Amino acid sequence: MTTSHRADSHRDEPTAAELEEMSQAELARLAAELDDVEIVHNTPKWPVPGTRAERRAEHAVGLWFIISALSALAFLVCFLFWPFEYVEPGRPGYWTYALYTPVIGGFFGLCVLTLGIAVISYVKKFFPDEVSVQQRHDGPSTELARKTVMAQLAAAGKDTGIARRKLIIRSAGAAAGIFGLGLGVAAIAPLVRNPWKGGPKAALWTTGWAPNYPGEVVYIRADTGDPHDIKLVRPEDQGAGSMQTVFPFRESERDDEHALSAALKRADNPVMLIRLRPGTPVIQAPGQENYHYGDFYAYSKICTHLGCPTSLYEAQTQRILCPCHQSQFIATEYAKPVFGPAARPLPQLPITVNEEGYLIATGDFSDPIGPAFWELGSQA
Amino acid sequence: MTTSSPRGPRTRFRRRVSGVLALGFGLMSCALLYTGLTPAPQVAQAQGDAALLAKGQELFNGNCVTCHGSNLQGVQEHGPSLIGVGQAAVYFQVSSGRMPMARQEAQAIRKPPLPTYDPGTEEGAANLEALGAYIQANGGGPVVPAATGDALRGDNPARGGELFRLNCASCHNFTGRGGALSSGKFAPTLDPASESQIYTAMLTGPQNMPKFTDRQLSPEEKKDIIAFIKSVEGDYNNPGGNPLGGIGPVSEGVVAFTVGLAGLIGFALWLGAKS
Repeated sequence: MTTSHRADSHRDEPTAAELEEMSQAELARLAAELDDVEIVHNTPKWPVPGTRAERRAEHAVGLWFIISALSALAFLVCFLFWPFEYVEPGRPGYWTYALYTPVIGGFFGLCVLTLGIAVISYVKKFFPDEVSVQQRHDGPSTELARKTVMAQLAAAGKDTGIARRKLIIRSAGAAAGIFGLGLGVAAIAPLVRNPWKGGPKAALWTTGWAPNYPGEVVYIRADTGDPHDIKLVRPEDQGAGSMQTVFPFRESERDDEHALSAALKRADNPVMLIRLRPGTPVIQAPGQENYHYGDFYAYSKICTHLGCPTSLYEAQTQRILCPCHQSQFIATEYAKPVFGPAARPLPQLPITVNEEGYLIATGDFSDPIGPAFWELGSQA
Repeated sequence: MTTSSPRGPRTRFRRRVSGVLALGFGLMSCALLYTGLTPAPQVAQAQGDAALLAKGQELFNGNCVTCHGSNLQGVQEHGPSLIGVGQAAVYFQVSSGRMPMARQEAQAIRKPPLPTYDPGTEEGAANLEALGAYIQANGGGPVVPAATGDALRGDNPARGGELFRLNCASCHNFTGRGGALSSGKFAPTLDPASESQIYTAMLTGPQNMPKFTDRQLSPEEKKDIIAFIKSVEGDYNNPGGNPLGGIGPVSEGVVAFTVGLAGLIGFALWLGAKS
């Protein structure tokens, strides 16, 4: 509370001989007093040791610990030996499999929960009821302490002569500063990307539909669920009024398993290949009149608003819906937006059929796919 | 073949008679052999069975003709033409109760099928077959697979799941809960659909659903997709006791924050309370 109080406690400090004679309880009380803690009262929970009630309380706490230990053991056994491999619903063994996660989770949870309950009930049942008060010391240190510490620091600086050694100060500053700069660059550099690297072939302008070398045939490929399976698409594969999500297959990637898998995952690759019903009236974008093949029209699946997959195709209304912000595009009018926040049509992929009868892309999209960006300028 | 006999004037007559008989016998055995060996004519039942077609036409005239026209050509503002939709489309629409429609609205919704077309009863199944045969005979189209029930479930639900997420999940949600489309239309939840109904829906593309021909999704792929749908339906996708709408992290997060956090705060208060 006050300086005088602290002075008091200092004055009460026992001598070495007195310390030798003090019991453990007295030493503990002295420790509290030295910290300015005053124990107002301390009532033990069980003043008379060995009563029946005390034993019952002890058993109750022990029981929680035992339940916890058994749960931990059950968790370990189930984790190691419970059948965890997938079984289809309705087949024998399904329920055993389906219970794997609940069982190990249940035992793990029970173990932690009962451990907590055991500790808490031990505290509640056995810790004495104690009220103690500790004095708070407000304000700055004493004038004496402040003056002496400052003088000590100044003396240390003077003794080591650092103030006069300009070379050491500057070189140490340079070392620390440049090291810090390096740390900062290392932290920020991964966040900096140049989207224009590659000029006209920059990532924002091109997609996986661009050939790897001039003249390479880029086939249209379906995803069968096996990333290394190359299923090329023929016009007769799709009925009238159908839609299929397709991906590029470049001849140079035939034996490259990594590239085959990556082609299905690259964010700007998915294309909706739509086959309209024969005789559906279609309005083409100027300059893109030869982008379709018969009733087949291919549009990027990436929404021009914020890049969600717009694959909700309504076969009757020929609308393409985006589930994120309800943009709607109309497939019979170069996928122009007719509702919602998207402002740009879905870019159309130019397609045709080669002499082998496979659908191929005759080039990359003529517009960048996905959300607009500054450099699109008036195209957006 | 000929008989040679030294006996008198009746010889020529006898020879003639026996010759005719032999020829007749030979022709008869040829005819018998031919009938025995000729394979049965390869005509599809729906095309050939006049009684079935007549029954189908009668059912069509009783239930469908108002909206789909007397020659299946469709009626403006009421119903589309049924030429070329195939038996599979009839099976899907009628067995799921979508047809006949109760009224014109954004979408034909699933309801209990008319008792006369209930696929669970013998009469209903026969009526569905007759009606389907009649539509099939007028323009052809996809047909209902012969297998039903468990036989339509593939043995690779994991691949079915991949294909489902690629082709179906955008509208039907990743576990078949369904979702909204434009202007009041919606993709329905898949739980009540039977295996045959899911299969025929993929084949025919009912309402606004695109069509998936057998060349786009092979029969095995369709069966795997059905296996996946059936492995996540109803209680199979509900290990926690309540699926919370099955729409993913939004509803689950709300419950975790409100119920879970409230519970934790209450527990903390109980701990802090004086015993």
